[in-house]
Amino acid sequence: MSKLAALKRLGPIQIIFLLLALIPLTGLPAYQFYILERGMQNGLVVLSLVILLGYTGQLSLGQSGLVAVGAYAYGILCVNYGVSPWVSLAIAPLVSGLVGLLLGIPSFKLTGPFLAVSTIAFSEIVRILILNNEKFTGGPFGLNRIPTILGGLPLYYFMLIVAYLAAFATLRLSRSHIGLAFKAIREDEVTAEVMGVHVRRVKLLAFVISSILAGLSGVFFANLAGYLNPDSFTFNESSTYLLMVVLGGMGSVTGGVLSAFAVTSLPEVLRFMTRYRLIVYALILLLMLRYTKVLNLENLQRLAQRVRRRLLPATARKDEVQG
Amino acid sequence: MGFENLLQILIQGLNMGLIYALAALGISLIWSASGLFNFAQGDLMTVGGYVMLSTFAHWALPYPLAFALTVGIMGLAGYLLSRGYFFPMFSQGLHPDIIVIGTVSLTVLLHNSILLVWGPHAQRFGPPLGDAPIHIGRIIIMPYYVYNIVIVVALVALLQLFLKKTIIGIAMRAVAQRQVTASLMGVRVDQLVALTFLLATGLAAFAGVLIAPIIPLIPEMGGLVSLKAFAAVLIGGLGSFAGALVGGVIVGIAEVVFATVAVPTYKDVFIFAILVVFLLFRPRGIFSAEISEKV
Repeated sequence: MSKLAALKRLGPIQIIFLLLALIPLTGLPAYQFYILERGMQNGLVVLSLVILLGYTGQLSLGQSGLVAVGAYAYGILCVNYGVSPWVSLAIAPLVSGLVGLLLGIPSFKLTGPFLAVSTIAFSEIVRILILNNEKFTGGPFGLNRIPTILGGLPLYYFMLIVAYLAAFATLRLSRSHIGLAFKAIREDEVTAEVMGVHVRRVKLLAFVISSILAGLSGVFFANLAGYLNPDSFTFNESSTYLLMVVLGGMGSVTGGVLSAFAVTSLPEVLRFMTRYRLIVYALILLLMLRYTKVLNLENLQRLAQRVRRRLLPATARKDEVQG
Repeated sequence: MGFENLLQILIQGLNMGLIYALAALGISLIWSASGLFNFAQGDLMTVGGYVMLSTFAHWALPYPLAFALTVGIMGLAGYLLSRGYFFPMFSQGLHPDIIVIGTVSLTVLLHNSILLVWGPHAQRFGPPLGDAPIHIGRIIIMPYYVYNIVIVVALVALLQLFLKKTIIGIAMRAVAQRQVTASLMGVRVDQLVALTFLLATGLAAFAGVLIAPIIPLIPEMGGLVSLKAFAAVLIGGLGSFAGALVGGVIVGIAEVVFATVAVPTYKDVFIFAILVVFLLFRPRGIFSAEISEKV
């Protein structure tokens, strides 16, 4: 019973990652395992958007550009300059963070769709630069034979630990001073300024933290794929990341991580529909957005509670209240 | 660069620019009516081009009929999209960012639908006035350049007339100015927002039909044109009729000029640079819309 009590004290995030840590023991087929890894890698981008959009209210449609910067920084350092993968792993997110600093500057004056368009322009510029600087990036042929930090299962567990730390930090951030400043900016910039929040500096900080996470995700992408191509970092990817964070409830870490896995695996689950799967996938996403008011995490929790109340006898419930 | 060369480039740029302007006008109309920035405008345009491909090239309907059918189908699609999807989201009072993301995921749906129905390879249908270039001195003009310019100018004039003189047009502008007041005056806001969507997707269809002879249709075209249309509408001023036109023409000409005098591969980067400069130093565009509350 005491063990159960200990389990109860774990937050939903801890439970999710605990389950993820146990999954390799079930002997999942390699492809499904790869999808799981991709889900984790997308989860990092979602966390970056939870901070940027969920906490700070800055709409970015250029996240795939930042992922590309991280991935290519890692790839170029490893392949062209022979830097060790671990060192590259440390440098690449910093590079994307630096780029994010620049990306944050338009946010001083722009909001909503205006900001979104400037971020799209940014990620398009990144894509065009990658495409046309063949000497460094391999251009349309892509960057081949990228060394990995670890392989197979160790890589999975390394990603798991990093993703967990990122999720935990994002969660803690929301209650910290900085997180509160983020949220103040989201609610009302003028009020935030009056309350002593240095709006520009804090916005830049949100962009930098978010870009570092996106860049880290890019590094993992390079590790998982072993090959980089500008086609992997298009507007479609950016919009998918945005969908993941919205379906997860915008500011919710747990919801974001769950929907990252759900949306990543959705096209695979729909594989039996062959040709129609991508259309069905898009339709499902549109419908989920349409009914996002009904489908949020709070309602699901309420539903779970109701089910539990139905199933558990009254005495057990009393236990629960005391525990 | 001689005078003739310059003229040649300007005609080309004007031609592309007017097509961007049509897409930009659609974005601007929807923005004014509902405060929604429609990221799917470029993909709606692409679908319009493909519908024309089916009606004109595959079903072999006469050009005017195929054109009208395409615009009709796309307009109806826009109307239904608003009634069935976007307006209910507005009336639910959802976070505006979520509705914007709705238009973003619409681009994914449209793109995938095109891939399924029409396939991934580039396709083209013949221009209405043939492919034989007209020589005026040393300037070479394709017949569809003239055709496109005439069509767009006529369309814009008609649209302006519609918005200024008809009762529906006036009601539309009332909705754009202030929805609550408009509804108190007996205007059905839901219908008029839907009508605005109809107009916007109809415009997108026009753009799609006109662009196809210039650039072969590919499923990814929407994204490329979207960005130019966004740039056009933001440079010109979101919510302004003249702004969308001027912005479109500026983008079209800037693109062609940059591609000729500098490196063609970086022409998009150049447009985005102009856009970012505009966003930073004149965020409301050249013609900032009279209705400023929306921003």
